[in-house]
Amino acid sequence: MNDTGNILWIPIIVISVLSILKLLNKNKSNGKPWIRIEKVEENE
Amino acid sequence: MSKHLALRSGNPALSASTFKKQSYASSEASMTIQGTVHKTGISLILCILSAGYVWGNPSLHFLAMPAGIVGFILAMVTVFKPTIGYVTVPAYAVVQGAFLGVISMIFNEMYPGIVVQAVFLTFGTLGALLLAYMSGLIKATENFKLGVAAATGGIAIMYLINMVMGFFGSGLSIIQSSSTMGILLSGFIVIIAALNLVLDFDFIEEGAEMGAPKYMEWYGAFGLLVTLIWLYLEILRLLAKLQNRR
Repeated sequence: MNDTGNILWIPIIVISVLSILKLLNKNKSNGKPWIRIEKVEENE
Repeated sequence: MSKHLALRSGNPALSASTFKKQSYASSEASMTIQGTVHKTGISLILCILSAGYVWGNPSLHFLAMPAGIVGFILAMVTVFKPTIGYVTVPAYAVVQGAFLGVISMIFNEMYPGIVVQAVFLTFGTLGALLLAYMSGLIKATENFKLGVAAATGGIAIMYLINMVMGFFGSGLSIIQSSSTMGILLSGFIVIIAALNLVLDFDFIEEGAEMGAPKYMEWYGAFGLLVTLIWLYLEILRLLAKLQNRR
């Protein structure tokens, strides 16, 4: 087996990892809180 | 307006006018990404089965040259008559598979193990670029398409010159050379072939978005198959050069 060819896997792995990180960041929370505390008006 | 409208693909099978040439009958079923994925899968399976069968039957190795010629004719028919892609694309996959089977066997005899590595690298590249396209890491912008198309055209011209010179018993030695320049050139060609996959994904997405006719699924699969075969052959050549350097 040609071991020197293994170097060609480096860009494939780098692109895959960067893509997965980007996908994970996309699906991450957008910073808005899960709950929101609002001021309750009278008679509400 | 679709972000893909001004499509420029380096793949000669996939040009800007391809979808415009087709009449969009609203009544008939339209192209979908899933349908194209299925047809690409069928084409790939046919190609791999054909390659494996020819590899295992040395009596069929004389088919390499005729398969190459018939493959070229089928490709031309598919480009100019995409409506019959359901016949020409599977046939193209089988014929190209036979051609690849012989080529792969020759390479594997010279450099044992190289074919397995080239196959994994080809599908690894496909997977990585599909992820990059889906995540938006690599976007098929107009400048990107223009750059890849220009580079692909340049490579095509280089191969054409090499072929013409071959008729006179000569050729561009750098294409086969295992020198540093030869390896860098091969690496560059592999990168451009890989980036053509992004243009193919974009072409298929555009076709589905624009509601292209159902038969264009076969055409999208054909484009992807052409690029994958090219990528595989270039990876095979690059691996052979790297092994020569050892």
